[in-house]
Amino acid sequence: MLKEITLGQYYPGNSILHRLDPRVKLVGTLVFIISLFAFGSTSAYIAAGLVLAVVITLSAVPLKFILRGLKMIFFLMLITALCNLFLTPGDVIFKVWKLQITAQGVRMAIHMAVRLTYLILGSSIMTLTTTPNQLTDGMETGLGWMRVLHVPVHEIAMMMSIALRFIPILMDEANRIMNAQTARGADFTSGGLIRRARALIPLLVPLFVSAFRRANDLALAMESRGYHGGEGRTRMNPLVYQRRDHIAYGIIALYLVMIFLIWKYVEISLPFLP
Amino acid sequence: MGREKIIEGSGLSYHYTVYDDEGRPAAKQTALDGVDLQVEKGQFIAILGHNGSGKSTLARHLNALLVPDGGTLYVNGYDTRNDTHVWEVRQSAGMVFQNPDNQIIASVVAEDVGFGPENMGVPTEKIWKRVEQALKMVGMWEERDASPNRLSGGQKQRVAIAGVIAMRPACIVLDEPTAMLDPAGRTEVIRTIRELNEQEKVTIILITHNMEETVYADRILVMDHGKVVMSGNAKEVFSRVEELEHLRLGVPQPALLAWKLKQKGLSLPDGILTMEELAEALEELRKNGQRGAVREL
Ligand SMILES: Nc1ncnc2c1ncn2[C@@H]1O[C@H](COP(=O)(O)OP(=O)(O)OP(=O)(O)O)[C@@H](O)[C@H]1O
Ligand SMILES: [Mg+2]
Repeated sequence: MLKEITLGQYYPGNSILHRLDPRVKLVGTLVFIISLFAFGSTSAYIAAGLVLAVVITLSAVPLKFILRGLKMIFFLMLITALCNLFLTPGDVIFKVWKLQITAQGVRMAIHMAVRLTYLILGSSIMTLTTTPNQLTDGMETGLGWMRVLHVPVHEIAMMMSIALRFIPILMDEANRIMNAQTARGADFTSGGLIRRARALIPLLVPLFVSAFRRANDLALAMESRGYHGGEGRTRMNPLVYQRRDHIAYGIIALYLVMIFLIWKYVEISLPFLP
Repeated sequence: MGREKIIEGSGLSYHYTVYDDEGRPAAKQTALDGVDLQVEKGQFIAILGHNGSGKSTLARHLNALLVPDGGTLYVNGYDTRNDTHVWEVRQSAGMVFQNPDNQIIASVVAEDVGFGPENMGVPTEKIWKRVEQALKMVGMWEERDASPNRLSGGQKQRVAIAGVIAMRPACIVLDEPTAMLDPAGRTEVIRTIRELNEQEKVTIILITHNMEETVYADRILVMDHGKVVMSGNAKEVFSRVEELEHLRLGVPQPALLAWKLKQKGLSLPDGILTMEELAEALEELRKNGQRGAVREL
C-alpha cells in the first residue's frame, strides 16, 4: 500500500507543461515567486492571477489536485491573515475591546493571503507536472552555476534522488515494524500526544538502525560502481533544450516585464478594498 | 598454455581493528590469513564458508574496497594497493551485494544500470547501448522503465547484475546474491549467472552459503577462519562429506544421499552431485545385478 504513495505528487500527463524542460519550470517558478514579493499591488496580483489561471489550464491537471496543496497550509494562512488583520497599525475602521482592525490591516491580510495562495499554486503546478527525477536533474544541471558559490549542487541532487528512492522502502519497513510491535501489544493509536509519541520510540530506534545499515551498504555499492562525485561524470539522460523551452524562457521574461510595468503604472482600487 | 589471469592474489592477509567503547583501537580481528587466489578468464569460481570465515572480506579486496595488510593482489593486472588504479580495479571487478534493495541507486531500472557507466564518463549514446545490452542479457529489458520498488527480489538482483555488466568488467564478484531471496528468486538469479558465464564468457566469482548453487562452478574454494581450507572442482570437494560437516557446511542433497548409500555398502561412483547423476548411477547398479542390494535399501 505504501508503495503507491508518489512523492512530489506528480500528476502524469502529456501537456505542454509536462514536456517543458525542468530547468525552465524551476526558473519560471522562481521568477513567479520573486515577482509576487517584489511587485505587490492589487493590479499586479490581478495580472499574476490571470497568468496563473492560464498556466493551470495549460497543465491539464484537474483543479482538485492543484487545490489540495492549499488545504495543507490553510491554518498557516489563517494565522498570518489574522495577525495582519489585527496587528497592523493605521486608520482604525473597527474596534471591539482591545482588538482593532485597520484599513491597512485589511489590505495587508488580503495581500498576504493572495501571495501565499499564488505561491502554493505556482509551486504545485511545477511539482505536479515534473517527476521528482526530472526535478533533481533540473536542479543539478540548471543550478550548476551555484557551484561557484560553493553550493554542493551535485551532492544535494544526488541526496535528493537517493532519498526519493528510499522513502518508500523505509515507509514499508516502518509499517512492518509497526505491525510487529502491534502484534506484541504495542499501541500506537490511543492515548494523549505524549503517550503516542512515546509509543513511537520502539518504532524509530529499529528504523534508524536499519537506515544506517542501508546507508552503509549503499555507500559501498556506489563506490564499487565507480562513484566519485560529480567530477568527470557523464549523463545518461542529459537535459537538452528544445525550441519550446526557448520560447518559454521568452514568455517568462515577458511576464516579468509586464508585471513590473503593471505594478508601476496601473492603479486599481477595488470597491471592497479600502 | 597460460590462460589470461584476471585475479592473482598470494598470501593475502587482512585484520579488522576492533574499537572499544571509547573509540580507541582495542584488538585486531583476523579476517584473512594467507589466502592464495588465482582466477582465469572465463572461469566460474564458487567460494563457500561458514559465517565469519572471511568471504565478504575477500570479496571487498577484489574490488579495492579493502586493501590487503599483507600479500599482494593483482586484479586485471592492477595492483590494488596502488591508489592511482582504484577506478580501473573497480571497473575490472564488479560487485553484486547481498541486499537487493541497498545497492540500487536510481528510481528507474534503466537509470540504475546506467549509473556505473555514468561514473566512468562513458558518452551518452554509448551508455544507452550498454544499458540495453546489459538488461537484455539478464532478461530485464522489458522492465527498463519500472521502478525498482515494484520488482521482486530476484528481479532486483538481476538489475544489480546488469548494473555491473554495463561497466564491462573483466569479472563479476557476487557476495551471497541469493541469501535474501525466495527459492524462485534464487533459481532465476543462479540461472542468469550461469548463462552469463557460459554464453557471454563472463568470469564469475560467486560467494554463497548454498551448496546447490556451487555445483556448476569450475572450482570451489572453501574458507574457514580466514584461510582457504579446500579447493577443487565440485566432485572433489563434495566427496569430502565429513570434512565439510566438520566445517559446519553441508553438501548438496543428492551428494549427501549418494554418500550415505555408499556408507551402507552400495558401490556408487564418486562425485555424484545432481539427482540425475544419482538416478543414473542407481540404474547402472540395478542393471549390473546388485538388484538385491538396491531393493534392500
Ligand atoms: N567491519 C568489521 N569490523 C571488525 N570485524 C569485522 C568487520 N567485518 C567483518 N569482521 C570480522 O571479520 C571476520 C570475517 O568476516 P566476513 O564478513 O568476511 O565473513 P563472511 O564469511 O562474509 O561471513 P558471512 O557469511 O556472515 O557473510 C569475522 O570474524 C567478522 O566478525
Ligand atoms: Mg559475508
